[in-house]
Amino acid sequence: MDIPARQKIIDDLLPKKFGTKGRVWVAVLLVICIIGMVAYARQLSSGLVVTSMRDYASWGIYISNFVFFVAISLVGSLITAVLRLVNVKWSTPLTRIAEIIAVSAITFAAIIIVVDMGRPERFYNLFLYGRLQSPIIWDVIVITTYFFISLLLLYFPLLPDFKIMIESRKVAGKFLNKIYSFLGSFWKNTPKQIKISRRSIRLLSITIIPVAFAIHTVTSWLFATTYRPGWDSTNFGAYFISGAFLVGAGAVLVAMYIFRDVYHLEKYITINHFDRMSKIVVLLALVYLYFNVNEFLVPAFKMKKTDADHLLGLFTGEYSTIFWFAISASMFLPILILINRKGRKPFPAFIAGSLVVVGSWFKRYLIVTPTLLHPFLPMTDVPESYKHYFPSWEEWAIAMGSLAGMLLIITIFARLFPIIPIQETISEKENEV
Amino acid sequence: MKYKFTYYALTIAFTLLTSGICLAQAEKNKLILGLGYFNDNNQIQYLKAGTKAKINGRFTPVGLIHLSFYISSESPSHLLGKATTDDKGQAVLMMPPSAKDEWDKSPKQTFLVVSDSSDLYNGTTTSIDLTKARIKIDTTEDKKIVVTLLEQKDSAWVPVPKVDLKIAIKRLGGDLNVSETPTYTTDSLGIAEAEYKYVNLPGDSAGNLILIASVEDNDVYGNLTSEKTVPWGTDSKYISKYNSRSLFARRGWSPIWLEWMAYSITAGVWLILFYLFVQIRKLRKLGA
Amino acid sequence: MKSDDTSRRDFLLTGLLTGATLTGCSNGPNPFEDKVTAMIKPSGKMVKLLSVDGEVIEVDEAFLKPVDLPPVSNIEARKGIPGKKFVMVIDLSRCKSVKACQSACNHAHDLNPGDNWIKVYAMQDAEHTAPYWEPSTCMHCDEPPCVKVCPVDATFKREDGIVLIDSDRCIGCRFCMAACPYSTRVFNWGEPEIPKEVAAKPYSCETSIPQKKGTVGKCDFCADMTRKGELPHCVSACPNGVFFFGDMVEDTVTNGAETFRFSDLIRDKAGYRMMEDLGTKPSVYYLPPVNRNFPFEDDEDSVKDKHEKIKS
Repeated sequence: MDIPARQKIIDDLLPKKFGTKGRVWVAVLLVICIIGMVAYARQLSSGLVVTSMRDYASWGIYISNFVFFVAISLVGSLITAVLRLVNVKWSTPLTRIAEIIAVSAITFAAIIIVVDMGRPERFYNLFLYGRLQSPIIWDVIVITTYFFISLLLLYFPLLPDFKIMIESRKVAGKFLNKIYSFLGSFWKNTPKQIKISRRSIRLLSITIIPVAFAIHTVTSWLFATTYRPGWDSTNFGAYFISGAFLVGAGAVLVAMYIFRDVYHLEKYITINHFDRMSKIVVLLALVYLYFNVNEFLVPAFKMKKTDADHLLGLFTGEYSTIFWFAISASMFLPILILINRKGRKPFPAFIAGSLVVVGSWFKRYLIVTPTLLHPFLPMTDVPESYKHYFPSWEEWAIAMGSLAGMLLIITIFARLFPIIPIQETISEKENEV
Repeated sequence: MKYKFTYYALTIAFTLLTSGICLAQAEKNKLILGLGYFNDNNQIQYLKAGTKAKINGRFTPVGLIHLSFYISSESPSHLLGKATTDDKGQAVLMMPPSAKDEWDKSPKQTFLVVSDSSDLYNGTTTSIDLTKARIKIDTTEDKKIVVTLLEQKDSAWVPVPKVDLKIAIKRLGGDLNVSETPTYTTDSLGIAEAEYKYVNLPGDSAGNLILIASVEDNDVYGNLTSEKTVPWGTDSKYISKYNSRSLFARRGWSPIWLEWMAYSITAGVWLILFYLFVQIRKLRKLGA
Repeated sequence: MKSDDTSRRDFLLTGLLTGATLTGCSNGPNPFEDKVTAMIKPSGKMVKLLSVDGEVIEVDEAFLKPVDLPPVSNIEARKGIPGKKFVMVIDLSRCKSVKACQSACNHAHDLNPGDNWIKVYAMQDAEHTAPYWEPSTCMHCDEPPCVKVCPVDATFKREDGIVLIDSDRCIGCRFCMAACPYSTRVFNWGEPEIPKEVAAKPYSCETSIPQKKGTVGKCDFCADMTRKGELPHCVSACPNGVFFFGDMVEDTVTNGAETFRFSDLIRDKAGYRMMEDLGTKPSVYYLPPVNRNFPFEDDEDSVKDKHEKIKS
């Protein structure tokens, strides 16, 4: 490839300083994070009583946020790993976006789970006194493993780009250059290095898939290993994983659009990308719809006594608004939008992706709390407030704070590192020619 | 004129108020005091006192009441000892050697307990009269139980008829009646009989049971017990699942299949991760 | 005067004493003594008493006081008492929802006001079946779902069948609360509102005092009382004799006043366990509400709570 073309790609893809929009965005996220931290300080001093969780609704939006984060983090394995393994070339610009979403999400999954603990200072008990029989310990093991795999899957493809970034000294300041050197100055693009890197990425891509399946299956088992209506289902592992792939893909649609818009990456994230990604979202939404039908229609057919109250609460009762909103937003509407050619253009796809993400967040809430409010034995000998759940302002602040934190990590990453792999893009364009 | 009226009104109000307070103070709650004599297995004897008061319409035990126990009469030379009631309203006094003189004097005894008056309760006193009695439990080969109740008359022990006894097997927290008969009554010879009817009743690990014959809350004789150990039970050997591996066992005791699965999967994946970290080192070396 | 017969248990260790005074040996373990007395160590300090025969005898002071066992170590508390298996039988035909059990339990464990370890449910199994009161404690299941899921071994099952919570270990993840189908666990969401002296007491898993912020609590079968050979507080407090408690190995249960052979009681009165089909193997048996002592009377609160629920 001739030098000017190569340089053009590099110039386009190098991380850029924040403009006004970027600064406002970061400021907003920081404010939300700080409010969240203030709320958490209150929670640390008074205890979980500042939330609306009580003896019956003992898990609330912290846990549904946790499930949501773990779900989103599966996108890394989907886009990066699966598509890489199938040698799909068009997904190259999206791999780093997917990976940073994954790493960021899994980090905040770990953070939000510590926030939900009644005694966070005893976190080390998990390692000192852990019981292998507990699904929570399995979750700790897989989450840690998945975090490292995702991090490596982010790091290896980033190595060639360090070289490019160090060479283009003019963009980065001295401090950033030091970071790039520390992380990857040893990369000289020699054939030997390329070979090792390629093999490692392949190995990672293969390994991450079963680990990704494990992470969300184990998370689903936090619920499926109990007797409760709505949770006592053999379907849960597959149900959760299909939902996770869907929300991850939706998140990528959103991120694609935003990065493309803010960094003017129209040449790299093309209309074709939106078209293909949207088709994937439609496919995943149909699969998730299939699992939802199995999850709800089958128990509804039987209407076992324990299930009946719970299902009626979801379909027509106090949770019906949220339920039908979540189902429409995460499945029906995106399918309707994206099944049409015109719907697969960037902006409609972005809307569909946002609907998927928002709908999925509410769907996770519906998985966690309504079941707890339909116990086997009637709610007795408790104050009236125990029989309902609506999160307190502290819970909202902390939950939103964790989401803002996740977005903040992604934003800062895009500021520091190229959000589209530079070297791979160059290599691909060379291959095309 | 206006001020005078106000002055009188205030004075009357004040008087009523203070007298009201004084009256309220003067009315202390009534303390109900009970006393019982206990003789365990013809060896140790003690007195137990219990207090109760009607608080909020319910009888509740009263703690921290100071009691003094006396034998025969309420005089300092006959003081047996002092005790304070616990939060269940009970206080116990073991029979001290100082009671020996009075105790030896006659088969009929009187015990008294006096409570000190406190801010909330007036002092009260209760006494019980006691005739010395002895209960003995014996068994025969064919699992028959014979219980004899004797009382002391002058210097002789005479049988006591028509007293209700309990004949039971000592168990945790209570005593299991040896048969269906609710109570056993002594005949003219002071003897009550029972038959041990249980089949395969678990005993301790050697198959022993402790039989207990007791007189409870008798107005004349107090509370008496007598125990005997018999080998009439089956040997109970209960081995819990505490020392076997299971999903609900303590840490380190998970099922073997789970440990194998979890450790091998984790080890496998982490070996791959370790290999990848080694690859990074290789890359560093190649580029150095 | 009426004396508490159960407090006889508090007291003298007649078997050991008879052995001691007759044989002159006061230190050797007596094979016939129950395990409670075996746990008391002679203090060496002798007290002079007057025996029934008018003789002055000497007895070690440790055996005289109401059984005051030394505080149990965490390891001992986790192990429990081997060779025993505690069970409870609740007679539904006697329950009138007096809730003396609930208040005695709350008081004895210094619980945060409002946290009830014992709940009394107004149950009606189906539209045409009769309503009844159902008090429920922790079932101390033989296959406890709560113990299976605890990540840090903060809740555990002991040798004697009791499932306890170690509030010094609990991380407050509340997985056990999600796992328990009997809704028996409560959580200390904030700092428990208990007097300072109670909060300053050294913690023991067996007494479950003091309750701690951010940890789970539940019925503990009064493990400290059963270790002493006494009955749990709910059993003693119920005025209608609803609760029976005992050692299944001894095959006997008692409510303080009445004692029955456990296997006979369950057979004769058709005892059953709650939610048997879940396979949790509870240690609490129920006797059906047949030939009731009291009619079912709804008060306002229970009308709101009453639901149709399956009983097994």
